[in-house]
Amino acid sequence: MGLLDLMHHKSMERQPDCRRRRAQDTNGLVAQAKINVLPCQQDDDSQGGERDIQMPNLPEDIWHHIHSLMPMRDAAQAACVSHAFLRSWRCHPNLTFSGTALGMNKKTCVNDEIARDFLSKVDQILRKHSGIGVKKLTINMSQFYTAKDSCYVNSWLLIAVTPGIEELTLQLSMGEYNFPCSLLSNGSGESIRYLHLCGCSFRPTAELPWLKSLTKVWLHAVCFTGDELGCLLCNSFALERLVLTHCDELVCLKIPCMLRWLRYLKVFCCENLRMIDNDAPNISSFLYAGERIQLSLGDTLKMEYIHLMCRGALHYACVELPSSMPNLKIADINSANEMANAPVLRSKFLHLKKLIIRPTTITFSYDYFSLVSLLDACPSLETLILDVSERKMEHVSIFTDPSDLRKGQQHHKMKRVKILGFTSAKSLVELTCHFLESITSLEYLTLESYQSRPRCSVPANKRRKCFPLPIDVLREAQRGLLAIRTYIEPKVPSMVKLRVVEPCRRCHAAVEL
Amino acid sequence: MASAGSGDEKAAAAAMITLISSDNEKFEVTEATATLSQTIRHMIEDGCTDGGVPLPNVTSKILARVIEYCKKHATAAAGEEGSSSSFSDAAFLEVDRAFLEELEEFDDAFLEVDRATLFDLILAANYLDIKGLLNLTCQKVADSVKGKTPEQIREMYNIVNDLTPEEEAEIRRETQWAFE
Repeated sequence: MGLLDLMHHKSMERQPDCRRRRAQDTNGLVAQAKINVLPCQQDDDSQGGERDIQMPNLPEDIWHHIHSLMPMRDAAQAACVSHAFLRSWRCHPNLTFSGTALGMNKKTCVNDEIARDFLSKVDQILRKHSGIGVKKLTINMSQFYTAKDSCYVNSWLLIAVTPGIEELTLQLSMGEYNFPCSLLSNGSGESIRYLHLCGCSFRPTAELPWLKSLTKVWLHAVCFTGDELGCLLCNSFALERLVLTHCDELVCLKIPCMLRWLRYLKVFCCENLRMIDNDAPNISSFLYAGERIQLSLGDTLKMEYIHLMCRGALHYACVELPSSMPNLKIADINSANEMANAPVLRSKFLHLKKLIIRPTTITFSYDYFSLVSLLDACPSLETLILDVSERKMEHVSIFTDPSDLRKGQQHHKMKRVKILGFTSAKSLVELTCHFLESITSLEYLTLESYQSRPRCSVPANKRRKCFPLPIDVLREAQRGLLAIRTYIEPKVPSMVKLRVVEPCRRCHAAVEL
Repeated sequence: MASAGSGDEKAAAAAMITLISSDNEKFEVTEATATLSQTIRHMIEDGCTDGGVPLPNVTSKILARVIEYCKKHATAAAGEEGSSSSFSDAAFLEVDRAFLEELEEFDDAFLEVDRATLFDLILAANYLDIKGLLNLTCQKVADSVKGKTPEQIREMYNIVNDLTPEEEAEIRRETQWAFE
């Protein structure tokens, strides 16, 4: 590659003698990028104008660099352009083996034949590959993998995981394959930056080499114990991002204090996890989804973003977080089975700017208006998103009890409020009226009825139709709209832009109230 | 001629560097702009820039474009430092997104050149060791051959086919999967 050659040249060149440098500048580096003007092919005039301009030619190392930037499929096609392109293909740095990349995803059902085809294609490509210069290797055979393929995977990794590798993604299934950690001892452990394993076992021991460049790790449905993960972590001081999803063997996640660069920790749906014990001092983003477990997050003064998805998360967030995470800027709380109303907060989230609350499976007694106490404790809050979408509205409707609406304290920073799944629940209407009357800074208020997922307007939705909704949900959505017209619209001040999103009229039949 | 851009006015008092193209045109740029080129950066470090830096492989036409790129991206680099929030996850940064989009638009417009100029820019980027510009321009070439047959690629870029028919057939067989 050009730059690499250049660096080599520069190291030779870095001598203080200016005159010598000048001389080398005109000869040394240029020798690399010599301008060979090819004679114009006068007989070929199909390209018209551009051919008349003398086209400089590029040296082989630059063509090699260009070739390395092509996706693997295009690079393979270009291999028969010339010897130089073939040489370049033999050390193509980005190897992505997946059904899509190898053009095999047209058939939906996976049978043995497709699996065999995949194996033979990957095997053929890698056996011809020099193994030199691989920077990024992706093997995604989660659809095709069976236990008898492990020797193939072993041999592929041996070919392609070489010193200089930066990214390794291995996606298998069933957890039967045991990732050969010894592989990283050939020098590749020095250069690897990103490791993504899926559907296999990963059993590092104390013999794991020092992984000095490893900054990102994502283990998905991978089998390992806390101790085994510990062997990885204590050799990965450069780690910045750690993501563990569906790793069910893990019981206790212990993060050592040496991980000073660790900023981002995401732990989702690890079924048997009971405890997270963090000593890393600089985590600024923490994302957790799963059972209620013991969270001992250590020094969390740097925490700026938190995403919690578990039972009673909202209550936990109100009680625990303001004092331990005073610098939180964004909180996304997805709380199931929220029984108790939001408590009055003892300390404040002084810097919280964006708050997303999604209470799911809300009990009929839950008082949305109690969220006012949480908002009072967030003096810097600018954006609030409240998702109360529920299939069954069990709250007292404003139309059942239209008596006096409660009022709360003033708030001066909030600009945007969005409520998703709006119903006629009285406490929700009260909360919305409170926003309009007490938030002097409010600019945008969006109220959205329960929406089907997926919606017809989403481009990815191939059915082009909203997912059907039960009549009860649609009826409550209509009641919500009526509540907006009756109680909310008259209170909207002139500087607030109210946006109401109804259920899709094209896909859902009109409902009589 | 190439005076300090609005972004580096603060650094106007800082050192200026004179770059001299192959056709002897002089370009005055700030150090921040010039040091996007590793080659020039090393010359500055070694104190070899008094009296101007001769760049005998770069014409004034190409050098002007290279400087245009460096100015924009030097400002961008400074901007990034200034606005960098301590967030570890860039996904949350709405502010920087607009900024990056603007930079992308600039890059797209910058690449609207004929092939000969594009190749000259690549050679200049390689010679001056400007990694961002080299990748940008090389990516443009890489994208341009997407979906093209080997014959079309050879024709587009005047590449001589030095493979024997037998060799070519063999490689074709080997990479058949990519043509399916």
